[in-house]
Amino acid sequence: MDDTMKITHSQAFKTFTEPLGRNNPISIQSLGICSALAVTVQIKTAIVMGLSLTFVVAFSSMIISLMRHHIPRNIRMIVELSVIATLVILADEVLQAFFYDISKQLSVFVGLIITNCIVMGRAETFALGNPPGLAFLDGLGSGAGYGVVLATVAFIREFLGSGKLLGYPVIPQSFYNAGYENMGFMQLAPAAFIIIGLLVWLQKALSKEKG
Amino acid sequence: MSDNLKSVLFAVATAIICSTLLTAAALGLKPYKTRNLVVDKQKNILKAVGLIDANKRYSPEAIETLYTQNIKNLHAAPDGRILAENETQEAALSLWLYMVDEQPQCYVIPINTRGLWGPIRGYMALEKDGSTISGFTVYKHSETPGLGGEIERAWFQKNFKGKQITDVTGDFVSIGVAKGRVADTVPDPKQANFVDGISGATLTGKFLTEGLKVILHEYEPVSINFRQRKVSTQK
Repeated sequence: MDDTMKITHSQAFKTFTEPLGRNNPISIQSLGICSALAVTVQIKTAIVMGLSLTFVVAFSSMIISLMRHHIPRNIRMIVELSVIATLVILADEVLQAFFYDISKQLSVFVGLIITNCIVMGRAETFALGNPPGLAFLDGLGSGAGYGVVLATVAFIREFLGSGKLLGYPVIPQSFYNAGYENMGFMQLAPAAFIIIGLLVWLQKALSKEKG
Repeated sequence: MSDNLKSVLFAVATAIICSTLLTAAALGLKPYKTRNLVVDKQKNILKAVGLIDANKRYSPEAIETLYTQNIKNLHAAPDGRILAENETQEAALSLWLYMVDEQPQCYVIPINTRGLWGPIRGYMALEKDGSTISGFTVYKHSETPGLGGEIERAWFQKNFKGKQITDVTGDFVSIGVAKGRVADTVPDPKQANFVDGISGATLTGKFLTEGLKVILHEYEPVSINFRQRKVSTQK
């Protein structure tokens, strides 16, 4: 019992779990909404996007944190941006080489991770003032928090919008024969807006109850 | 060391390290990316002739095998004659033949035209009668997702199958994208020359119609030869 208390109260654990729930980048901080609308039609693209962003934000936070005492203040943001941009392009290259179909679907959105406020936000507010290990965990948590929301939205949209999960049909043909129809609206970006809105509402309501 | 000098040196060092990393990654992964492009091209040709199902997944090896077994990449002279395998000629047109029992079943022509926001690239397969479209695919475009971007979706491409590039008298008219549904907007005798349009993407449809007309016109000599049954296996 004491041991688990120690782990859950350690700073590392908190750093990692805060952005998963209580301080989630999308549902609480409202960052990275743009890509969340675009890549959540299918679970697969949402997961790959979540993993790519996690990779970028974790490593950029760690690298920036390693350099935090050496970066000249007047070119601070430029240096942060070059680190982030390099990692994003690396992730994009790897996707193009090994996950070609997914990279085609994600198209510009992997590249746009560079401008995703979550990455720059974590670098500025956390990595510059904390040691590399914690910065890495913070990035990992933020990326995972983003990925979890993306996957949840994509789950709802793929299930209702095309009757599939991870590309496999889950709604039996007999339902369609009986007159069931996929909700075409779920395939469009506004649907993601509404789902994210509902998720924010749900999370706020739950956290209020806990007090 | 002055602060400014330190900033400049730091910036230069960051730039060198980042660019070295990126160059290494780009060079190291190039063979994989090139192969992906080749396989993707083969996949789209196979999709145009109907050999693979757009909804199923195929391994790169399976695609390469299907492609080498069924498809021949040849050239046609400007007069429409299909050149033998090793023969080349200036101003020759590139095309692919889907061979069944050594006889061409379909011929596939490359589509390279402009859309509203950038180039549209794909393939159109025509049956050996020289006028019936047997498939159409798009593998690259920059149209707006959900609007013009629908040209890459199966529902749009499926509409091309069975349409004609000739009118009822057999003269070339090309294939057009209608403004809205064909059944509502196109008079009866011309319905075979139009596919359903995409709502909210009139301009993409207009550019695609114009581009297809130019390309099909360019390949018309080949199509005429097919229509007149002049094409067989010229060994």
